[in-house]
Amino acid sequence: MTRGRRLLAVALVVAASLVAGTALTAAVSLSGGFERAASRADLPDLIVRFRGRPRAEVSERLDALPNVEATQYRTEFNDVFLRGGSGSTGRGAVHFVGPGRRGYAILRGRDLRGRGEAVVEAGVAREWGLAPGDPLSVGDRGGSLRVVGIGLSPDNVAFPLARAARIYVSRDEFPGLRVDVAMAWLADPSRADVTLAQARAVSFGLEDVRFVTRDGVRILIGQAAGIVIALLVAFSLVAVTTAGIMLGASARSEVARRLPSIGVQRAVGFSRAAVVREQAVRAAALAAPGAATGLGAGALAMHGAADRLLAALNELGPGAALVWWLLAAWLAIVALVAAASAWPVWRATREPISALLRGGELAVGRRPRRPLRAAAGSRASGAHGDRFRPSAGGGLAVLGARLASARRARWAATVAVLGAASATLVLLLALASLLVALRDDPSTVGKRYALTANLSPSAVRDVERIPGVEKAAERTSVEASAAFSLGQPLRLVGFERGADDFESPPLAEGRRRRADDEAEVGVGLADALGLRPGSPLVVALPGGREGRFRVTGLVRALDNDGRIAYVREERLDALGAFGSTNVAVRLKPGADRAAVSRGLQRLGARPSEATAATTRNRDFLGVLATVLRIVALSVGLVCLLVLAQALVLTARERRPTLALLRTIGAGRGAMARVLGGACAVVLVPAVVLGVALEVLVLGPVVSSLAAGYAGLSLDPSAGHLALAAGGLAILGAGAVALVGRRVEREAVVAGLREEA
Amino acid sequence: MTRACLAAVAVATTAILAGCGIRDRDPAIPGSTLRATIADPDGDGSLSRGPGEPLLDRTELAPRRRGPFREVARFGQLTDTHVRDEESPARVPFLDRLGPPVTSTFRPQEALSPQVLAAAVRALDAERPQAVLATGDLIDNAQRNELDQLIAILDGGQVDPDSGARGYRGVQQASNPDGFFYRPGLDAPRHPGLLGRAQERFFSTGLRAPWYAALGNHDLLVQGELPPSEATDAIATGDEALLRYDPQLRDLLDELPRTADPSPDLADVPQEAIERLLAHGVPGRRTHVPPDANRRGLRFAELAARLHDAGTPAPQGDRLDYTFDVGAQLRVVVLDTVNRAGGAAGVIGADQVAFLRRALAASGERAVVVVDHHGLERTQGGGAALALLDRDADVIAELSGDTHRHAIRPRRTPAGGFWQITTASLADWPQQSRMLRLVTAPDGSRALETWVVDQAGGIRGGDLAGIGRELAFLDAQGGRPNGFTGRREDRNARLWLAPPPPR
Repeated sequence: MTRGRRLLAVALVVAASLVAGTALTAAVSLSGGFERAASRADLPDLIVRFRGRPRAEVSERLDALPNVEATQYRTEFNDVFLRGGSGSTGRGAVHFVGPGRRGYAILRGRDLRGRGEAVVEAGVAREWGLAPGDPLSVGDRGGSLRVVGIGLSPDNVAFPLARAARIYVSRDEFPGLRVDVAMAWLADPSRADVTLAQARAVSFGLEDVRFVTRDGVRILIGQAAGIVIALLVAFSLVAVTTAGIMLGASARSEVARRLPSIGVQRAVGFSRAAVVREQAVRAAALAAPGAATGLGAGALAMHGAADRLLAALNELGPGAALVWWLLAAWLAIVALVAAASAWPVWRATREPISALLRGGELAVGRRPRRPLRAAAGSRASGAHGDRFRPSAGGGLAVLGARLASARRARWAATVAVLGAASATLVLLLALASLLVALRDDPSTVGKRYALTANLSPSAVRDVERIPGVEKAAERTSVEASAAFSLGQPLRLVGFERGADDFESPPLAEGRRRRADDEAEVGVGLADALGLRPGSPLVVALPGGREGRFRVTGLVRALDNDGRIAYVREERLDALGAFGSTNVAVRLKPGADRAAVSRGLQRLGARPSEATAATTRNRDFLGVLATVLRIVALSVGLVCLLVLAQALVLTARERRPTLALLRTIGAGRGAMARVLGGACAVVLVPAVVLGVALEVLVLGPVVSSLAAGYAGLSLDPSAGHLALAAGGLAILGAGAVALVGRRVEREAVVAGLREEA
Repeated sequence: MTRACLAAVAVATTAILAGCGIRDRDPAIPGSTLRATIADPDGDGSLSRGPGEPLLDRTELAPRRRGPFREVARFGQLTDTHVRDEESPARVPFLDRLGPPVTSTFRPQEALSPQVLAAAVRALDAERPQAVLATGDLIDNAQRNELDQLIAILDGGQVDPDSGARGYRGVQQASNPDGFFYRPGLDAPRHPGLLGRAQERFFSTGLRAPWYAALGNHDLLVQGELPPSEATDAIATGDEALLRYDPQLRDLLDELPRTADPSPDLADVPQEAIERLLAHGVPGRRTHVPPDANRRGLRFAELAARLHDAGTPAPQGDRLDYTFDVGAQLRVVVLDTVNRAGGAAGVIGADQVAFLRRALAASGERAVVVVDHHGLERTQGGGAALALLDRDADVIAELSGDTHRHAIRPRRTPAGGFWQITTASLADWPQQSRMLRLVTAPDGSRALETWVVDQAGGIRGGDLAGIGRELAFLDAQGGRPNGFTGRREDRNARLWLAPPPPR
């Protein structure tokens, strides 16, 4: 193998490993972030919030619950003025914590030991540049605390994604404080339902009681980025798989090229096993450094971005555990390349040595032997018959295409690699569009209104009088849980009668709601509770009351992980279910959103745009962009290298033909047309294959892995296809230019001598 | 030979299959906690079988002696069985929402009280007592149909736990939107169909030994508080039930006239005020329920007569005070401590003290166990009775219930002292009864051995008594958080006694 060819093969392994490294790092980092943080922070299994009560009264009830291993109590003060380092806010959240298990992790410094100390949440410390030892001013009167530690708790996203800047202070500061948060660690978290049922029974008399389990917290955090992370993780898993396909196919292609030399080895007496072993070792030796480089580069490129994303969510990266994953991936890649190289050799060496010496194609399945001989024959005729005859056979481009596709097995392998790469590219574009839509377009989560306003329901008619407003409706959202299974959180969204269509995700089964006691439930909730149209939905409301609804339909809702039920506002009212209420505003087509917002402000409201499924936080989105950019770059690099390899091989093998063409006057343009044809013959079917792969396999797989309950569409648009095809065409042009220059540099005589 | 082989194979196969069945179905476990206990060793809220608890020697009253010992009396104690008609309109299951001291007016396992008692009877029978003392609160709401169930279970025969129309109608129905009640069809741990099964008739094997009842407040007073009256009968036999809590109730109860020294229960509220309250109706939305005339409240005469028919001696006037012997060397004196005027606390009058004096005098050389529901220390007027016991060297124990808690305390007296023993209920965790055995040695040394007995419900078998125990254990107002199992030495112990006085 020449040095250049070896370098090209290594570069391909590097590029594919780069995709694998990037994707693997993203998948490993993002998929377990919450669990890692929850585990390190010792997040309680059960969090109960209520209006302040004496600690003894609450602890008497909590201690009586079964399955409780430990308890802790807090008092939370919100909207406290905080100033420290380079920042300040009037939205400080001061949590007074008791001794014992805390429910947060100390990342730097130490935990609270006494008065005058504070542990600052990591997001606040990052944003304001705080470190242990720094002073922190609390309250309007400027009470001073000293930061002793930087903490992290995944029960909320980090500041500034969360609006409140959170600090922890010892309850010793104010020992008589009433508590308003109780936390419990369970001996067996899988039996949380039993504990919750008893907790509800003894919670009578506490006001505004809300239970949140670890699962509930995870869903709550997921509001910010859950679906995005799920999509990225799913995408990464698919990308790792396609990287494997690329590596396998390219290794197979490399073997095809070496068949004659394998024939020589067999002719001089090497056994099949020895030949295969030698091929596997050679491939492994080639892949090992490349895979290590690619995986390392991918991991390095992704690591920082993933860590920033996790930090924004108050979650933790995998740390050293990632190294083990990468090591496993490295071994898998090397084994894959070795196996993909050894297996075709093993199969090819079944052929007679004479056929191998003629450079026969690899045996494929149980095909008759004829193509092997025919291929050899066509090669011979190609060598002598592919003369410069522009008028016959469709010109130079067609000639190039014929030259490139003459080796069918290698052509198929190249098309497979490029197909997988282009499928990944198309998927990437579709994913990017979906993420933008999830961020900006409320209709992706079934919301058919543009604005919300914090107005009382009585203002609905006034809102409708604002020019540009088509309709307004009261919207109430209540965080509740399933009465059957109190550990299952869910959200009730109520719209007043006649405004059911304000929020209506696609119907998956059944029908829309028509009566006050009917509900459409998200597929996520239906799956969790085993609901079907006709089933009763029994909901435990804050405060202990229950609401009962009949499920009429299942909807593909994305909001709240699909754990959502759409009901009538009137029914929520009747049940005394208090939640957050605002007015949803639907605009007329072409209405000026800014003008409507001003109109709402005149009514005393603070209008906000209807939210879609993800946050609009700039930093957060920046991280996402980085992730996608790195993967796109890696895939692009793979495409470029594969194309270059295909063209170089074609040019190398067809050297006499190309020399002859140049002898009879073919210039740079003619050469470009020949190579362009060779490029197109792999690129066009690869794009078709890629699109088919994306639409039929990758898109549905990613969608289903990320949010099977929501039925997200990752079908590419015409724009995506044009962009992917254009991008690949540019890469192809680049490869043609690179190889063309190389062909030009070669002496014509050398090529002709080879022919002779 | 062949036939013998076949028979042997059949027997072996049957034994193996039976063995497999035992493992699979986790059938009733033997009740004696000397052999095995039921506990939650890892604190996760699920029960499993643990090691047995051998007898601990308690020498607070007398030193330990060496045998050989001879058993002279062996008897059991069942207490606070609270067999209840949980569908009765005369119940107020939501009242515990008023908070302490009103607690446990609703229990998640309350529909299973007959099955739990039947399982306790089976377990106690296995211990082969000569007699069984049923020390009060045997039924829950002083209703005739509750007494029917109790007697059927203890005597043996078919038991009908249902009342009103067939099937369960009450606060635990899945259709009840009040999440503060445990509804087995909905809430964890889910037991769909449990309530229907709980209403089905079943057969009780009954106690093989004679049983003797001491009265508790729940046996004679509505909800253990109110003397039955025409008004309470009308509610109990009526077709309207208050199943939902109304916040006005708290105000109304706060406004009830009370004496200067208010007690946590309603004992200090004049009867007329309560009658007035009932006549006007307790606030809250009423629900229609199928009526049942057999829910009528029991009066003393009827109760005593029914118990007498079942083997309990006849009352002394209007109090169910009596004596009986267990074997030749043990006499049991039973005292009726129920306050006929109402209220959960016990009371004992001068006539009863006189009866006690006569009974002690008549006991001769026999050892004496005094039985009452409330415990004389906690009973109004109990001081005088205790003074009698303190002076009598033959008194070896006072056996009571009411607290729902296992406890054994020595009472040191100039005469040598005796043991005060209370036993847990079947209404709450740990749903255990107690066995006692008086042993003596030729030199006059004696000890009272006692051990507690689990009811025979399975741990994971899905039988009703087993589910009843599981729910009782989980109950956040019940015996687990309140420590009703007591200390280790309150359960299985050998209680050493001073030798009897020389005659």
